[in-house]
Amino acid sequence: MSCASGPGGGLRHPLRCREPWDEECEKEAVCVIMCASVKYNIRGPALIPRMKTKHRIYYITLFSIVLLGLIATGMFQFWPHSIESSNDWNVEKRSVRDVPVVRLPADSPIPERGDLSCRMHTCFDVYRCGFNPKNKIKVYIYALKKYVDDFGVPVSNTISREYNELLTAISDSDYYTDDINRACLFVPSIDVLNQNTLRIKETAQALAQLSRWDRGTNHLLFNMLPGGPPDYNTALDVPRDRALLAGGGFSTWTYRQGYDVSIPVYSPLSAEVDLPEKGPGPRRYFLISSQVGLHPEYREDLEALQVKHGESVLVLDKCTNLSEGGLSIRKRCHKHQVFDYPQVLQEATFCVVLRGARLGQAILSDVLQAGCVPVVIADSYILPFSEVLDWKRASVVVPEEKMSDVYSILQSIPQRQIEEMQRQARWFWEAYFQSIKAIALATLQIINDRIYPYAAISYEEWNDPPAVKWGSVSNPLFLPLIPPQSQGFTAIVLTYDRVESLFRVITEVSKVPSLSKLLVVWNNQNKNPPEDSLWPKIRVPLKVVRTAENKLSNRFFPYDEIETEAVLAIDDDIIMLTSDELQFGYEVWREFPDRLVGYPGRLHLWDHEMNKWKYESEWTNEVSMVLTGAAFYHKYFNYLYTYKMPGDIKNWVDAHMNCEDIAMNFLVANVTGKAVIKVTPRKKFKCPECTAIDGLSLDQTHMVERSECINKFASVFGTMPLKVVEHRADPVLYKDDFPEKLKSFPNIGSL
Amino acid sequence: MQSWRRRKSLWLALSASWLLLVLLGGFSLLRLALPPRPRPGAPQGWPRWLDAELLQSFSQAGELPEDAASPQAPHGGSCNWGACFDTSKCRGDGLKVFVYPASGPISETHHRILASIEGSRFHTFSPAGACLLLLLSLDAQTGECSSMPLQWNRGRNHLVLRLHPAPCPKTFQLGQAMVAEASPTVDSFRPGFDVALPFLPEAHPLRGGAPGQLQQHSPQPGIALLALEEERGGWRTADTGSSACPWDARCEQDSGPGQTQRGETLPNATFCLISGHRPEAASRFLQALQAGCIPVLLSPRWELPFSEVIDWTKAAIVADERLPLQVLAALQEMSPARVLALRQQTQFLWDAYFSSVEKVIHTTLEVIQDRIFGTSAHPSLLWNSPPGALLALSTFSTSPQDFPFYHLQQGSRPEGRFSALIWVGPPGQPPLKLIQAVAGSQHCAQILVLWSNERPLPSSWPETAMPLTVIDGHRKVSDRFFPYSTIRTDAILSLDARSSLSTSEVDFAFVVWQSFPERMVGFLTSSHFWDEAHGGWGYTAERTNEFSMVLTTAAFYHRYRPPPCPGIRGSEDQRPPPRTEQGSLDPRNPGSRPRSATSQLWDPGLTSLEFVFSSVKWDGFTSQGWCEH
Repeated sequence: MSCASGPGGGLRHPLRCREPWDEECEKEAVCVIMCASVKYNIRGPALIPRMKTKHRIYYITLFSIVLLGLIATGMFQFWPHSIESSNDWNVEKRSVRDVPVVRLPADSPIPERGDLSCRMHTCFDVYRCGFNPKNKIKVYIYALKKYVDDFGVPVSNTISREYNELLTAISDSDYYTDDINRACLFVPSIDVLNQNTLRIKETAQALAQLSRWDRGTNHLLFNMLPGGPPDYNTALDVPRDRALLAGGGFSTWTYRQGYDVSIPVYSPLSAEVDLPEKGPGPRRYFLISSQVGLHPEYREDLEALQVKHGESVLVLDKCTNLSEGGLSIRKRCHKHQVFDYPQVLQEATFCVVLRGARLGQAILSDVLQAGCVPVVIADSYILPFSEVLDWKRASVVVPEEKMSDVYSILQSIPQRQIEEMQRQARWFWEAYFQSIKAIALATLQIINDRIYPYAAISYEEWNDPPAVKWGSVSNPLFLPLIPPQSQGFTAIVLTYDRVESLFRVITEVSKVPSLSKLLVVWNNQNKNPPEDSLWPKIRVPLKVVRTAENKLSNRFFPYDEIETEAVLAIDDDIIMLTSDELQFGYEVWREFPDRLVGYPGRLHLWDHEMNKWKYESEWTNEVSMVLTGAAFYHKYFNYLYTYKMPGDIKNWVDAHMNCEDIAMNFLVANVTGKAVIKVTPRKKFKCPECTAIDGLSLDQTHMVERSECINKFASVFGTMPLKVVEHRADPVLYKDDFPEKLKSFPNIGSL
Repeated sequence: MQSWRRRKSLWLALSASWLLLVLLGGFSLLRLALPPRPRPGAPQGWPRWLDAELLQSFSQAGELPEDAASPQAPHGGSCNWGACFDTSKCRGDGLKVFVYPASGPISETHHRILASIEGSRFHTFSPAGACLLLLLSLDAQTGECSSMPLQWNRGRNHLVLRLHPAPCPKTFQLGQAMVAEASPTVDSFRPGFDVALPFLPEAHPLRGGAPGQLQQHSPQPGIALLALEEERGGWRTADTGSSACPWDARCEQDSGPGQTQRGETLPNATFCLISGHRPEAASRFLQALQAGCIPVLLSPRWELPFSEVIDWTKAAIVADERLPLQVLAALQEMSPARVLALRQQTQFLWDAYFSSVEKVIHTTLEVIQDRIFGTSAHPSLLWNSPPGALLALSTFSTSPQDFPFYHLQQGSRPEGRFSALIWVGPPGQPPLKLIQAVAGSQHCAQILVLWSNERPLPSSWPETAMPLTVIDGHRKVSDRFFPYSTIRTDAILSLDARSSLSTSEVDFAFVVWQSFPERMVGFLTSSHFWDEAHGGWGYTAERTNEFSMVLTTAAFYHRYRPPPCPGIRGSEDQRPPPRTEQGSLDPRNPGSRPRSATSQLWDPGLTSLEFVFSSVKWDGFTSQGWCEH
């Protein structure tokens, strides 16, 4: 920029430079100052020779002026607060009427019409989003201006209440950036929500002169009421070139799949009327039509329905006999009966949403709010947010030509499904229709998901109501696979210092045919594991992992050494399990790879006296847990235990040195929703000869502590995920009177 | 001279001060003229207008002239479901499909596809009664192109099926016909009207098909992160440690040591990068799917197969090729949970919809049927979780709770009641003791007696509190599996009059069934085995160490069974020999079959189990018995 075109020069309006956030203004201002300082510098030396002959006092005066100037400047430097606060006030609280005016010459450029072939990979400049951190696009909002034509006639209303809300919502969100250079998406402040309130050509010219317009690339326009009489186009008529359009009322002909976003037409009643949620279930009317200004043909069809089905169908129209004009939008009439709108919608199971002149109807929002299932009769209409929302779950779409059959179509829907739809309708309204903010953020989220698809929000997150989200489980191992037997399992023995017992366990476990590796987790930091030569010689690799701290969680760490999917966790004192028992347990695990398959079974019970959960190790008829002192499970649960355990359970377990097995049972039951499998009838897991073993297991305090664990975990999980079963798995011929040598697992042990 | 010098120093001081003043003052002025730069961390947002409350709403009530619309005719050239498909023809029996017979000699593929459609439950021989007319346009081999059929009617209610990209020029205007095409470009694809098919290789099996390659849920340790498709075919696994953009030709040289797998081998990696430009790459997509290698599609220009119903975000990653660094970083940082879920979904989708031509065709028809059904179509959950929409039929129910498959997935439990159905064959003794035993069960809701023998119905039945219904059967064995409308519970206990069970046995079996509602839970077992001598499968009811079947003479099962449909049953039941079993017949594994056998017999799809369930504590269910033959 050259200094000649400095302040006041050119076409720019002087008011422009009040804009604190306008970059153009900034550059101009810099230029003004630079020019000024250069002038002073030039004049300075010229002054000096003239003063040579003057009096001394003159110097002193000059000197003091300079000094004063310096002091003033210095004071100015240390007075920053007043300036900034006044500036803040300027930015934050101004009137819409004071915004700068921009004059659009009649011959300023007009963008091309919207390009129907636009897709994200052709018309969207994704490079602009390359800098955005955390897979989140950054959105810039242009400053508000008032656009006038050559004659000073405004191009449109400066901004509507809703568009102001929308921009505020974006500005308050994580998407917003005030740095135009880092922005990936640009939202003009030119309000095009309603096409009827603007002048098409001039609005297009206003768009084209935006500083980063660049054929509309990465610009997002919000429009809810497109088209105008007589033909009512289904997309905004303003030429917009490559700009994305978030439009209400798209049809299949105008909607650019994967590029545009179909949004709802906001209903101002949403904010005005508070309709409390009404539970699903049958309602007074089966079908209601409450739209006014319907095409006579449609109204005839609806009235025919009412005649045919009587009381259960209600067709309303605007009230003609009411004197108050203002109230009439909140009233509907059928003959001489007057109904409150939108309250009347809550009395109906299904509500008709017919196309009007436009496809998108604000009534859809009212209907959803009332928990009424919308019956959408608008051929080729693209339902709001249809890219992500599953409208089949919340609405019934009926072709226009089938309008006379609508009653029988609706009657064929089972009651359970209707209730599901009613709940879903209300949830859609709460999440995506309720406010302008909800609409704006959902739109940005959709665009964000397109740009960062690997971080996109899932179908369930978009569509499942919170109650379903919380209540459902998503099993991480949902594919019904039977892992090949050949893979085998890795046994992990947690040990501290019971070397003799440990070696016996190792020897026993190594006899199991499917064992592929043995991992000893040495949890004792004060003592080294025995010499290599002392360890039992076994046919599979044996690895000793030394831990940094004596923590129970170490047994569930996802060690890199675990190469098989199946893990056998076994205590260093479980020496009584036979090779047949262990092999059999592995075979059962293969059939249920997503469950804990173990030997010692335990139960949780509700203690009615104490009003809390109780741990039960008695020989009962049911099990809900298997102890990880001897249990098979999928190695993925090690990852979950170590990194995804909810709350502070993991630390709690390590601090108490207890209940890691209960925690694992909770974790697996919670993510899979499935019960454990107890294998073989064995009940006793204490070797008769190991008397030295800490008498913990049956100790009374131990039981109390274990009960406490259950209560603690249940409160952290917010529910009791454990499932009680009454069966266990035995080998097929276990009970049969059959020659032992013909049995696959003859040595299964006894109680 | 001195004064001059003094003056000079004075001058110097003066000018220096001036300069300082100008500089400092200039800065202050600059700060005055310019608003302060926003402090980092607190961006200036959209202003809070003082008069925001006074702003007008965007739509003024009553402003909208809403009565102008009259029903619009569809725009020419483009079609959508509502405008171009007449569902009134499908009202009676749902989707009925007529296939145009071939007009000349046809290829083997064509013939077999015809056969598979004719075998489906949608097929009809009368064009008049059909609501969908299907035109096969797939003779890529013979080079013969179909001509316009007789009942064309501007293509209304027609589906033009192109399994392979047709070399045929468009010999006739498609008009209002839907097109089911392999990998259609996104520009020509009409969402909700056309159907996107997978790009099937020529050798794709017509029925059965190889199961997915995945043998374990989680990726093997040390497996390559990325496999790249090579233009000449095959896959190259890439080391992603150093390279920034391994798929970008510009930095090919940095892509590090890679391993190239040639030919039709399946990639062995966690992610498979597939170019989105060439439609041929679409066949790679299926390969990756089968291999359990998560497809990463770079800006695909073609529509993903069955995108209308399949939620591909659960099985594949669609990424923008213009952001290679971000994509690579995202793949490297992807959580194990997500990788696990994506991998499993690839296998499920492959097995459910893509492993054979027949499945692809049935899926196509199912998609169209769902459009016709509208609200009673498959919900997304049924399409996108095992066992898939071909097996969970929407004609039975659209609610997941009604099916046996989703209880365990969703952590729910089936209802606690069952109906006992007692089949009375010859000689026709009323099963009085059995009725008493079953009626004693706390879970029993009703008893049905299916009288299926020559004797007349007895007039008196034992007194029980249980509702007892007697049905006069047709003396056919399959009658016992008929979905009688009188059965009101999900669980059915199928019994023979000759079975002898105690009440506690019934109770126990039922609680086991509740834990496994998708399985048959019975008392008597039998197994299949590979009979080397006869070169076929054999059946035995002898006591062995494993079993693969329970007999329906005493078994619980879920009320849901897909209606008879040879096509679908065939495709599910007929799997190739299992991959894991090798070598000769193992006496401990009678179900396994040697791989070398080249017989036309397929594995019957049964899995053998080596365990039975018993009560946790022996005396938990009194008089725990074991059924004797």
